[in-house]
Amino acid sequence: MTADHYLIIGNGVAANQAAEVLREGDAEGRITLVSNEFFPFYYRHRLRSFVAGEIGEDELAVRSPDWYRERNIRLRLGQTVTAVDLEKKIAYLKHMEKVTWTTLLLCCGGRPRIPEIHYGYRQHFTVLKGLRHARAWRARLPELNRILIVGGDLISVRVAETLLGLGKEVLFMIDDEAFWPLEVTEGIRAELAENLAGRGAEIISGDAVTGIAEEGAGYRVSTRRGAGIVCDLVGAFYGLVPAVDFLFTSGLDIDRGILVDEYLRAGRPDVWAAGDCAQVYNPAISNYWVSIGWENARRLGEVAARNILGAAETAVEPPVNALTYEGVTVQTAWWKKLD
Amino acid sequence: MGRDEPAEGIDVTIRICGAAGDGSLAAGGFMNAAAARMGYHIINIDLYPAEIRGFGKSVAHVRISDRPVHTPGTKADCLVALNDPHSITEFGTLAEGAVVLYDSRPPVYWDEDRAVAGFIEPGMVGYGVPLGELSARATRSTRSRNIVALGALSGIFRIDPGALKEGIEARFGRKSAELAAQNLQAFDLGRSWALENLEKTDAIDFHDRIPGQREGVRVVSGNEGAARACLEAGVRLYAGYPITPATKIMEILAKELPARGGVVVQTEDEISAIGHAVGSGFAGTRAVTATSGPGLALMTEFIGLAVMGEVPVVIIDGQRGGPSTGLPTKTEQSDLHIAAFGGAGDCPRPVLAPADVTECFTLTRTAFEVAEAFQTPVIVLLDLFLCNRTEDVNFSDVDPAPWGAWAEVRAERHEGEGSYRRFAVTETGISPRAVPGTPDLYHAVTGLEHNERGLPDYTPENHLRMTRKRYRKMETLLERWPEPELAGESGRAEVGIVSWGSGIGAAREALAFLQTRGVRAAGFFPRLVWPVCEEALRSFAERCERVIVAESNYTGQYAGLVEQALGARVERLTGVPAAPLDPAAIVAAAGGEA
Repeated sequence: MTADHYLIIGNGVAANQAAEVLREGDAEGRITLVSNEFFPFYYRHRLRSFVAGEIGEDELAVRSPDWYRERNIRLRLGQTVTAVDLEKKIAYLKHMEKVTWTTLLLCCGGRPRIPEIHYGYRQHFTVLKGLRHARAWRARLPELNRILIVGGDLISVRVAETLLGLGKEVLFMIDDEAFWPLEVTEGIRAELAENLAGRGAEIISGDAVTGIAEEGAGYRVSTRRGAGIVCDLVGAFYGLVPAVDFLFTSGLDIDRGILVDEYLRAGRPDVWAAGDCAQVYNPAISNYWVSIGWENARRLGEVAARNILGAAETAVEPPVNALTYEGVTVQTAWWKKLD
Repeated sequence: MGRDEPAEGIDVTIRICGAAGDGSLAAGGFMNAAAARMGYHIINIDLYPAEIRGFGKSVAHVRISDRPVHTPGTKADCLVALNDPHSITEFGTLAEGAVVLYDSRPPVYWDEDRAVAGFIEPGMVGYGVPLGELSARATRSTRSRNIVALGALSGIFRIDPGALKEGIEARFGRKSAELAAQNLQAFDLGRSWALENLEKTDAIDFHDRIPGQREGVRVVSGNEGAARACLEAGVRLYAGYPITPATKIMEILAKELPARGGVVVQTEDEISAIGHAVGSGFAGTRAVTATSGPGLALMTEFIGLAVMGEVPVVIIDGQRGGPSTGLPTKTEQSDLHIAAFGGAGDCPRPVLAPADVTECFTLTRTAFEVAEAFQTPVIVLLDLFLCNRTEDVNFSDVDPAPWGAWAEVRAERHEGEGSYRRFAVTETGISPRAVPGTPDLYHAVTGLEHNERGLPDYTPENHLRMTRKRYRKMETLLERWPEPELAGESGRAEVGIVSWGSGIGAAREALAFLQTRGVRAAGFFPRLVWPVCEEALRSFAERCERVIVAESNYTGQYAGLVEQALGARVERLTGVPAAPLDPAAIVAAAGGEA
């Protein structure tokens, strides 16, 4: 009997794929997933449909609790890791519990990014990352008529499309900062804007938010050009940053994500990272890159698990296309940003 | 759902778990009292260790509903963890999707698998609240974590805080105004912390609604109901030896009885206790004793004397798991045979078994009348679940004698000086009774077999005659006892469920569930469990395709009596799970899907 305890921090596609592969390869080792979200593993790309009321919450679930029970995988939801001690191999949870591991896999994903320039009024931004946010959007939608979307990352385009489909008035303020960690060309940006405008959105280019104040039940948004935009909600879509704050004092190398080698090892033989939180080294370009998107995360989770079990696969294969918008395909990973 | 919509369909079971001394039972008490004051129906059962305070697990199990409920419920909807190691063992009692409220900032780090949060399963909802920190802020100690938790529950489930705070203020206000203020602050801190920091993801919602305050409603335990019956029956002597779960009856009477001219005697053992009570009954003064199985075993000799001497006395037995000391703090229904048959010889005496807290009052009250009318010991079988559980009761709405009027069941007075036959053989078996010292009515009373005048007579003819006379009293009782409760299907039934005592509540809920599933189910729920109401039982069994007898003992003690009465086998649903009978088990036995 093995004494291994695979501790996976996260409950997204990378974490779940890794757990599945680990169980297939090790029938007896303990596997624990810890997530600060309350919800079981769900399809993130269906959140847009959930917000629009097209599907119910039950249609978001990827796996039932029984899936974990049958595989003897412990799923700890609503629990936050506050720190890890790599030497002692202990994860410290917010509710004062210590969890030990033999192998740590970090699949902690990302959280909505708000550029520092907007920190003064960030409480007025509404973001959309997980189910918790989606529930809030869905609950508020009926009372919203005029919505300003600022930023313009890949999710925002889909959200704007959904809002327009629901008959909402959508103002879309494209911000150069928004496509982080990707960079898109001016041409692609123009193409996306043109498509949205064709659907009825009012596109605001070359301007930026400088302040937000509450006004009645909504907001008044000040801009660099002196405009005062009145709206019911300000949706902020500036991309995601890896949710790795709890690792800052751990000794792991962190840049825009957890730095891992091409095998997804985080500088130690017993610590690995996969998914949106990992910044993977590519020997071909001698540089690191953060990947995003469901399929990429799934693949990284799988590779990490195989390597934990003893394989030596590299994670630097060509990525899978993750998002297609109006004929424009945007690859969401690696050094190759556009198709 | 909007905030102002009524909270219909409320049926929530909460378990508050801590180590002994953590205040889990007190918190459950506050929750019960507040819910009852707000107009909800409640059933509460406190589960605590057999050992002396300071060790082991204590759990307050509270079921709150907007309609009358008969059982504590099968699975709990919420666990409040005041102690992590003990609470971890509670997860088997939780429903899928249950809420778990735990201390998110205990003073030290727990190792893995020692923290309750680590056991919250997918689908459950965990709410971490810094119970200890908030308690310390309010009261400068962590002892008010239970009150903080109540405040947090009030915020999470939107339970109107008014009634809860009223109870807290009253309880601590008796000690000092400062203590009351501190605990109210602990409550407020818990509530506001939950409202400000927790994102509600569970479905339990009281909507801050108060269904309707009911005047006169009190939260009463079975022991309190039985003690009240003793007082209202005019008891003048309580003699007993402390034993779980019956001690509370003695504690209440020790406070109340002296003010009414009565006496409470704590005897050296149960033999002495029943001796006192029988002596008092012999002297014409109403007396009672309360005990549990081990005590009842010691009392059997004196019960025999009371049967032979035809002395009225009431014995309350709070059943618990046995044999011997057994499971002092776990419920069971395994004293039926000793209650009905324990002791020497053919020794008939009625055994009554209430179904709920209200009946602990009414049936115990009736027991005194029956004892008096039939000049016999009467045993009232409670069990730990009935003794300790609390319910909302409005005594002003309760008929104190729903089981018939027994004062008229008296033998005619004797006639003629010098002709007094204390044990005269009569049609009813009941003889004219005079208390000792009544002029011209002097007579002998003995444990020896005796003739009508009370003088020893061992002839076979006399023994048969007097034995018949003693059993004839039971026949008279059966003739006059109200029909047993019949529930559910009144005609032909696919399944008939028989249960007794505290099992009746579970059987009622199972019956209701089966009927919603289209099963033609009927119930037979006697309160006079010995002698068996044979005629009614046969009539019931004849219209049922199957008869299931559900009870909390290993052998099926009542089922055996039923089979004897019917001359046929029945299905036995028995068990000793150290817990009240589970409606789901009855449903399953009946072939329904729980």
